[in-house]
Amino acid sequence: MRIIVHKTKCQGHARCSAQAPDVFKLDDEGYILPGDIEVAEGQQLLASRGARSCPERALELDPTPAARVVPDAIEPRVWRA
Amino acid sequence: MTINAVPDHVPPEMVRDFSLFTSPGMASTPNGDPHAAVACVHAGPPIFYSPYNTRDGRGTWVITRAADQRRVLQDAETFSSHRSIFSSALGENWPMIPLELDPPAHGVFRSLLNPLLSPKRVVVLEPKVRERAITLILRIAASGTSCDVMKDFAFPFTVSIFLRLLGLPDHRLDTFVGWAKDLLHGDDVKRPAAARTIVAFIDELATKRRKEPVDDFMTFIIQAQVEGRRLTEEEVRGIGVLVFIAGLDTVAAAIGFGLAYLARNIKDQDLLRREPDRIVLAAEELLRAYPSVQIIRVATKDIDFEGAPIRKGDYVSCAAMIANRDPAEFECPNTVDLAREDNRHAAFGYGPHRCLGSHLARREIVIGLEEWLARIPAFRIQNATAPITSGGHLFGIENLILDWS
Ligand code: HEM
Ligand code: SF4
Repeated sequence: MRIIVHKTKCQGHARCSAQAPDVFKLDDEGYILPGDIEVAEGQQLLASRGARSCPERALELDPTPAARVVPDAIEPRVWRA
Repeated sequence: MTINAVPDHVPPEMVRDFSLFTSPGMASTPNGDPHAAVACVHAGPPIFYSPYNTRDGRGTWVITRAADQRRVLQDAETFSSHRSIFSSALGENWPMIPLELDPPAHGVFRSLLNPLLSPKRVVVLEPKVRERAITLILRIAASGTSCDVMKDFAFPFTVSIFLRLLGLPDHRLDTFVGWAKDLLHGDDVKRPAAARTIVAFIDELATKRRKEPVDDFMTFIIQAQVEGRRLTEEEVRGIGVLVFIAGLDTVAAAIGFGLAYLARNIKDQDLLRREPDRIVLAAEELLRAYPSVQIIRVATKDIDFEGAPIRKGDYVSCAAMIANRDPAEFECPNTVDLAREDNRHAAFGYGPHRCLGSHLARREIVIGLEEWLARIPAFRIQNATAPITSGGHLFGIENLILDWS
């Protein structure tokens, strides 16, 4: 699972890291670090809860995780209607 | 009260007889529930014009949906917070910082101040906060089986945290509580007098720290640099005054409304006392159901918003108590559910001005509830007394007499 971080929308509520401190890392001012987050197995529940807790909607659950991970060679485009 | 004519550009059908100052339940009301009273706007349109919706009697647009409030508050270019509310009451014109600055200047000061109240920093402040809560509650427990929560606990608690933040000793606590009371609740004579006293105090403290720096908030501010220069006296004052007033009534009201709810809902009270791990989540729900702040912005240009012709200079109100009761955002918004998850409430605002003290405020509220429930047995609202609630710019509760006899 992957979380897309819209850094410019982050206003430092720190609700994400209150839910899942290991997933959502904040800088010294208390705002989310830039860069999308690849979530490890076992942390997915906490991570999605953290993403859903952002008041600014700065965190987006990537809706197509497989498409990003699975290379085209294995899953040719034609298979997807 | 000044009666304001509705501006010509406001279509008459968009005007509603509703205001956070004058609607039923907004004036001081015994046993009132002003938050439930404002929730009624969700039966109406997403935006309307309220002809009287500020302390000085001006009209505002009222944004009711949480999603639209986010849009307004995230767009500081179109919706400015430059108003000089505090200084204009003194016939002066300097901004409270960072509240009354717009980007990009806002961001410069915000970055400077963020580390002082960041989640990390709050962990360091926490032991002192707890110590203050325990001292006050032990004193209350030792002196009887009832108390006036606002006077005896909530207010002195928040004022003393402010003193700690500024590195000031507690022996002047009563003086500060007096100033804060006059400033926030005084009449037209006491309020400006208290404002002047507080400004003079902040100026004096800054002068002292310039001469003799110590390791505290004020020393940090006067030694700090923005854009390669020191802060001006006016900027130091703008920060000091804001930090003084922003964290007193707001936190006190949150504790007061929270304890009033628990006093009336014994089951929830017992549950939190038995399982204090639930308090962190419960505090979020209490902040959602009983937030205290109505935010006002000024339009910097003409804009049509959800069918409303907002014109440059119009006031736009984003009341947290309205956003937090939006059924599109919260399931059963008028039900208090202390185990509510995904609680993205608006108590601390949205956008770049998101409450700088939110991390500290959350800890103060959680610690206040934890220590109260650990030390005070089952409490109720004392017979034959009635807490008095009020609406307005800042919702509040007074005369909350709790009894555990
Ligand atoms: C439950 C308690 C509190 C509530 C409900 C609250 C609410 C708010 C809200 C809604 C705003 C946004 C105002 C706007 O956008 O115009 C705000 C801003 C602010 N608050 Fe709080 N507040 C609380 C406690 C505190 C505390 C304890 C402090 C300081 C120690 C504090 C300091 C500030 C400051 C400095 C700002 C201005 C931030 C900026 O403009 O960038 N607040 N607060
Ligand atoms: S909850 Fe949202 S706004 Fe808050 S720190 Fe996390 S990403 Fe930023």
